[in-house]
Parts: sequence; structure tokens; C-alpha cells
Amino acid sequence: MLEIDRLEVRYSGIEALRGVSMTVNSGEVVAMIGPNGAGKSTLLNAISGIVPAHAGHIRLDGRELTVLPAWTVSAMGVLHVPEGRQVFADLTVLENLQLGETCLKSRPRRTTLTDVYDLFPILRERQAQLAGSLSGGQQQMLAIGRALMGSPEILLLDEPSLGLAPVIIAQVFDALRALRASGLTILLIEQNAHLALQASDRAYIIDQGRIVHSGASADLAQDDSVIAHYLGDLAGA
Amino acid sequence: MSNTILGYIPLLDLFFLHLGLAFSQWIVLRAGVFSLATVGLAAIGAYTAGIIATKTGIPAPLGLLAGAFTGMAAALLLSWPLARLRGVYQAIATVAFLQIILSLNIYFEGLTGGAMGLNSIPKSVGTLTLFAATAGTVYLMVAITHSRIGRAFDAIRQNEAVAASLGVSITGHQALAFAISGALAGLFGALEAYHSYALVPTQFGFQYLIAIMSYVVLGGRNTVLGPIVGTAILILLPEIARPLAEARMLVYGLLLILVINFLPKGITDTLVDMLKARNLARRKVAAETAETRS
Ligand SMILES: Nc1ncnc2c1ncn2[C@@H]1O[C@H](COP(=O)(O)OP(=O)(O)O)[C@@H](O)[C@H]1O
Ligand SMILES: [Mg+2]
Repeated sequence: MLEIDRLEVRYSGIEALRGVSMTVNSGEVVAMIGPNGAGKSTLLNAISGIVPAHAGHIRLDGRELTVLPAWTVSAMGVLHVPEGRQVFADLTVLENLQLGETCLKSRPRRTTLTDVYDLFPILRERQAQLAGSLSGGQQQMLAIGRALMGSPEILLLDEPSLGLAPVIIAQVFDALRALRASGLTILLIEQNAHLALQASDRAYIIDQGRIVHSGASADLAQDDSVIAHYLGDLAGA
Repeated sequence: MSNTILGYIPLLDLFFLHLGLAFSQWIVLRAGVFSLATVGLAAIGAYTAGIIATKTGIPAPLGLLAGAFTGMAAALLLSWPLARLRGVYQAIATVAFLQIILSLNIYFEGLTGGAMGLNSIPKSVGTLTLFAATAGTVYLMVAITHSRIGRAFDAIRQNEAVAASLGVSITGHQALAFAISGALAGLFGALEAYHSYALVPTQFGFQYLIAIMSYVVLGGRNTVLGPIVGTAILILLPEIARPLAEARMLVYGLLLILVINFLPKGITDTLVDMLKARNLARRKVAAETAETRS
């Protein structure tokens, strides 16, 4: 279980997160929805140790993560698919995936290269190609595959739909549905509220660094007023 | 005929000596460290080996090892404060390191010979030894490139935050790159000491640093072939066009400016990219024709 308790993050004095508390239970898919600049990416960066926490706690099964350097957080099975994919453009698809295994260290391998290729067959076809030559959708699949290679206990996904065509978004979310069905724990960041609510069990709404609403995704999806109020036209089609 | 070949031996020796240092520079750049320490580390290796040869009875192979070892130790020490710096600040700090090495050289005159340098070092290294050391180095670089460590170096250079979030230790890998760089610099510095009878403090100065950097920038930073091509071109050029030899540094400077502007990835990396793009296009065409046929 991932437990975030009154987390605060500052960028040279500016408060990006102002006391965020939330939980992600084992086997759950939890969505975090909010407008641009709300602090969604900051939350994921704080969990994976890329930005330091100013105050508060992040615990994975009771173990404090805020004191660990970034490269050891992933060794505990917290794997982050960053916003904008950020694959290693000068490395091949296969090399990108192999880098994903770096964090395995002492944990047992639960996901193999074959599993990733079965989930995203296009990656098998393109395995010898440079990651930089892939389309945006393929890069998103590669970024997810790279994280899966580390056999995640929890997968942190930062706006997987960002900048992708609707057909491609559908493909990516099909894969997420398969991962969810396999019992993987996921924290999904999205601006597209409808997409996120469909794909999750519970959801939080974040605005200006604070959690402003939370509940079962099915309930929130019914409640147009909440979404319209906090997300305006970002509710998504 | 054999005379003309023999005439090129000194040039070949120079090529090997400089190529070793070029790889020392290449490996740190590869791991995303903007260090200019190679020449300073080479000076440490050279003087260690030179002092051992002139002041003790320790045999040359051990002197070479000692050079590599002191180079590596100095690099590891240097990597510690450098881990807190990035980019151009690392460059400035390492140039300062070079200045310190040059000053220490003068200060410990009793040991290093000061401004007079270290003379009458027995010559124990010939072309064959240089070739063996260089071949070993190339082999090591290729092996690293295809290993987990090489991938980690590439990941750090391209995106430090993502590399860290995948479990790659930035400090650990950059210290490793530094250690390899220092050992190579120390070894090739020591080889230079045993190859050339004498060492003078100005030898390992700013000009040498620029030359080594030029080989890597011109040749390419991402393939093992890069430093080989860069070093070969820049060593041969002044020989082919004799008048250029007078203005070697000027030519290097101009070439650097041209390459950085027009071939920012260097000669081999640009060619490799072009070949890959062409193969890809060819494969695409093949796939499309196969599709239309079926
Ligand atoms: N590296 C940074 N330095 C300074 N401010 C930042 C940095 N990253 C994000 N911010 C600021 O923090 C706030 C939250 O940003 P972010 O977490 O990226 O939001 P979101 O992902 O929800 O769009 C924004 O106001 C943004 O401008
Ligand atoms: Mg964001």
C-alpha cells in the first residue's frame, strides 16, 4: 500500500504541493485528476524521489520513501512512467527495455520481455530500432514497457494520453485495462477526467497543490457538477 | 619502401598515445560528465612512472601499473566534489584541477625536476607496447558499450532524472566512468614517459587538453569509432599538409568551430545516424512493397 501523508513540495519557495494526503491500496487503480499546473507531476516526482519532499511522508508498505535517493526508490518496486514519455532516443527499443531491469536488484522478476512484447507487439517488431524514431504512441508504449521490465509493485503513470491521437489513446488504455485485470497497482495521473474515471477504481481531484475532492470513480463519473466545477472544460470528451 | 614506412613510426606512436587519452576523455563524456581532467590525470601517471624509473629500480611494467593506479586514484578523489557540479561548472573545476597539478609539479621540484622537467628516463616502451595498450583499450571500450554499464552511461547522459528513477545510481556510475578515465589517462601518461626519455611540465598543458578534446568532438562522442577517426584525422592532417603543421592549434580551433556548427555529433556519429536512417527507409519500402503484393 502506498500512503501519502500531508506531503508538501516547494520549488525555491513556491509551494507546489500543500499537504496532500492519499492512499493507493494494493491491487487498486487510483486516478489523480486535475488541471494543468495543479501539482500532479510534482506528486509523482516526489514519490519517485526526483524532487525532495519539504514536509510530510510517503510510505510504501510502512517504509518511508522520502529519505531515500531516487535510484533506490525504484529498487523497492515504485516505477514511474514520466510525463512526455522521455524514452532514451539514442538507444534502441530493446536497450530501453533492458534499462528497465536495472532496478530489479534483489526483487524477483515477475514481468519478462516476452510479457512486454505480448502487451505491445509493435515493440517486438521495432526492437532493434532507435527509440527516437518511434511515433509518439509507440514511445508511450515503450515508456510503459520499460517500467514494467522492473516488475513494479506500483506503477506511476503521468498523463499517458498526452499529445496522442484518440485511436492511439484507446490502444494505450486497452493495455492499461489488461494490466489492471492482472492485479497491478496503478496510480494514474490524467487531465482527461472521463478517460481516467473509466480506467480507475477510485479518484482524487487535485487543484493548486491540494486534494479538493475524492471518491469512487463510478460515483464521480455520475456527478457532472464536481467535474465541471473543478475541471471546467478539461473534463474531456 | 621500408624507409618510408619507418618514417611514419613516430607518427603512429603519437597516434596511439593520443588515442589512449582520447578514450579517457570519451568515457567520461559518455557518462554525462563534462570533465576536462584527462590531461591532468595523464600528468600524474606520467610523473609517477617517470619518478619510479629514475629514482627506483622498479621495472617498467610495474611503473606503468603504478601510473594507471595513481591516475585512477586521483580521478576517484576528483569525482567526489565533482558529483555536486554539473555541465560547465564541472569543466571549470577540472581546468582548475589541471592548474593545480601544474603548480604542484613546480612546487615539488625535488621529486619532479620542477621547470627543468624529468630527464634521462630509460626508454622501455616501443610501438608494439603502444599498440597492445591501445588495442586493449579499444576492446575495453567496446565491451563497456555493449554492457549494462554502457547502457547506464548512455541513460545518464541523455536524461539523468529518468535514469535515476529506473534505478541507475548517478554518482556510482559517474565515479566508475571517472575511475576508468583516470586509469586510462594514467596508463597512457606513463607510456608517454617511458616512450620519450624526458618529461617537461608544460607538456601536459592547455594545448594538449584542447587537442584531446578536438579528437573526440570531431570524431564523435557516442561510438567507439569516434575517437579513432578524430585522432587519425587530426594527427595526419598537419603531416599531409605540411604548412598546416605550423598552425596546428589554429587548424584545430577552426575545425572545432566548423564541426560544432555543422556536424554537432561528430563525423562518425553523423555517418552512423545517416546509415541507420537509410536502412530504416529501405526496410520501410520493402515492407510496403510486400504489403501491396499480398
Ligand atoms: N522544476 C520546477 N521548478 C519550478 N517550478 C515548477 C517546477 N516544476 C513544476 N513547477 C511548478 O509547480 C506547479 C505544479 O506543476 P506540475 O506538478 O508540473 O503540475 P501538473 O503536472 O499538474 O501540470 C506549477 O505551478 C509549476 O509551474
Ligand atoms: Mg504534469
